[in-house]
Amino acid sequence: MSATIEPDTASRPRDAERMRRWLRGYGLLSPALAVIVAMLALPVAALVLLSFWTQNGFELDRTPTLENYAQLVRLTDEPTVWFGIPFYFSYPVPAILMIKSVVMSLSATIAVIALAYPMAYFLAFRVHKHKALWIILITIPFWTSYLLRVFAWKIVLGFNGAINSGLKALGIIDQPLEFLLYNPGAVVITLAHSWVAFAILPIFVSLEKIDRSLLEAASDLGDSKLKRFLRITLPLSAPGTVAAALLVFIPTVGDYVTPTLVGGPGGTMIGNLVQELFLRQNNAPLGAAVAITMMLIIALIVAIFLWAIGYRRIRARRA
Amino acid sequence: MQRIKFLDKMIDGKLSRRQMMQAAGAFGVGTLVLPRPSVAAEILTCLEWGGYDSPDYFQAYVDKYGAQPNFSIFAGEEDALAKVLAGFAADVMHPCNYSVARFVNAGVAAEIDTSRLTHWNDVFPALQTAEGVVWEGKTVMAPADWGNSSLAFRPDLLPPDFAENPTWGIFYDEEYKGRVAMTDNEMAIIIGAMVGGMPYDEAYKLEGAALEAAAKEWGTKAVNTSKFLWTDSSEVQQAMASGEIVAAYAWNDLVANLRNEGVPVVFAKPKEGMFTWFCGLTLLNTGKADEQAAYDFIDAWLSPETGKALIEGSGYGHANMKSFEIADPEAIANMGITDPVAMMADTIVFKTPTDAVQEGFNKVWGDTKALKY
Repeated sequence: MSATIEPDTASRPRDAERMRRWLRGYGLLSPALAVIVAMLALPVAALVLLSFWTQNGFELDRTPTLENYAQLVRLTDEPTVWFGIPFYFSYPVPAILMIKSVVMSLSATIAVIALAYPMAYFLAFRVHKHKALWIILITIPFWTSYLLRVFAWKIVLGFNGAINSGLKALGIIDQPLEFLLYNPGAVVITLAHSWVAFAILPIFVSLEKIDRSLLEAASDLGDSKLKRFLRITLPLSAPGTVAAALLVFIPTVGDYVTPTLVGGPGGTMIGNLVQELFLRQNNAPLGAAVAITMMLIIALIVAIFLWAIGYRRIRARRA
Repeated sequence: MQRIKFLDKMIDGKLSRRQMMQAAGAFGVGTLVLPRPSVAAEILTCLEWGGYDSPDYFQAYVDKYGAQPNFSIFAGEEDALAKVLAGFAADVMHPCNYSVARFVNAGVAAEIDTSRLTHWNDVFPALQTAEGVVWEGKTVMAPADWGNSSLAFRPDLLPPDFAENPTWGIFYDEEYKGRVAMTDNEMAIIIGAMVGGMPYDEAYKLEGAALEAAAKEWGTKAVNTSKFLWTDSSEVQQAMASGEIVAAYAWNDLVANLRNEGVPVVFAKPKEGMFTWFCGLTLLNTGKADEQAAYDFIDAWLSPETGKALIEGSGYGHANMKSFEIADPEAIANMGITDPVAMMADTIVFKTPTDAVQEGFNKVWGDTKALKY
């Protein structure tokens, strides 16, 4: 039995090899890991710690307590009615703003996907020459600062803005439309435009990777164009679309600058509450607790979303 | 070559700890590793209102130091205070008579040695000793600018009977929904309570259940009626110039600027009363710059030249009596009043709430805004 290798003697060099690979892997990762630890893990840890303290006037009380979290869920008999929904919380603002932010962010995400998918589809299937140039052209507006793009929407939607003066010049309206700016709708429109470029690229990549022979096969076997799209293109591009949706949804829930600039008092989101608690109400511990709770809720929503669409199955099919 | 020598030495292990640190310091590592050595030329950092960062208002400082100080712009004193408490190292802050106590109570304000200010003796005597300038027996604010907060409106866009009898009630009137702009602070609740018949002396110190009730009634109305709540005076000026809004809570500069553009605007004296504030410079103990630079900055603000710029440019009053001698008489006439004492006697002077009251207002106002949809 010369072919049989003694496991003892053979595994040692293999272990060493694995160890070396492991080291090399982490060695390559270490710059990124260092940045993540310094810029993300440590601040988040500080935030978690802060959320267990309490603010007492100008002083920070460092006795660990769950009071901040308790404040977010404490109930009362007198409901605060918001949009016809009674909230039985004694401090209903975070819960209400959380729901509002999720709804606004979901609307923005749906709008982004609806805008980005056709663009990505066009790029992947209809453009044959100079694809890189097309991609650059699509991303050009996004080379300007995020803040400037938000400001641009303020000008577009404003009282004497582009839409109003355009409609006035055409004689369609004589009084400027007032419902354009300073409301949740303005925030959703601005968010949708600001994030669309980030959605086009992942969708484009997953569409680009689809094996064209599958489409030919589907046509040969008698599928109509619509059926072919629904049975082949859409499922195979799902991973990119899901990634794009998450890429838009997660950061927009906590967005702060867009509602500040175009939202008015009615367009506030949970990020504004966190800012308000930290910077105006001088209650950083409560602000930290709201921020942590917001992170957990977003994580939960994302997990439920991925489970509901069967993300594991989609990934497996791609593999 | 310096670089190669350095590397050779390092490899040979001949580099001293001091040389190593020096090199690391060049990359900014030192700021993390070493206790901070004192640096002579730390630049002055000022917390300022938007618009007050123009060199017109501290030209003498620029002449002496050859550069402007660093500015951090705030929208309200509470924002600025929170920033300082969070560790922002500012040397000078620009609070007002009603808010300076917050900085003193938080332990970030320093007493001002008025003998180090060359223009101090020209300051209106009434301002030198006013509450807010002096707090708990110490001079904590050098008064610089004074003016009004009142209702500004467009007479051409409102019915004539409103112009005859202007009222703060317009900010709580469903009829003007989306056509007015309140300021983004608790004044919306205080003024509402005054519209409801409560005198200012009671309204400014509302607390507990009474505050919650006032916020629920008047705060909510103000938030729902306002097109937006302004934090930046240029924003409200543009909206008023275009006619997007017809009335706003405003300061004198809005009226001065719009008149210069030829927009008809009235700075009303509402039946519930108009307000007077005076603001100034407070020395903070959080700063890193040389104290003399802070005094020079404050002194520049008190100079009559600054007063001239302030009167002619913004329509605000100035604390230095000599400003009124050198400013354009027409600008002074436009401002309507030259004596802060007369103005204070004629209007409601803002008062300083206790910390507990201020914190209550901050919270209730934040919650009221958040509940709008």
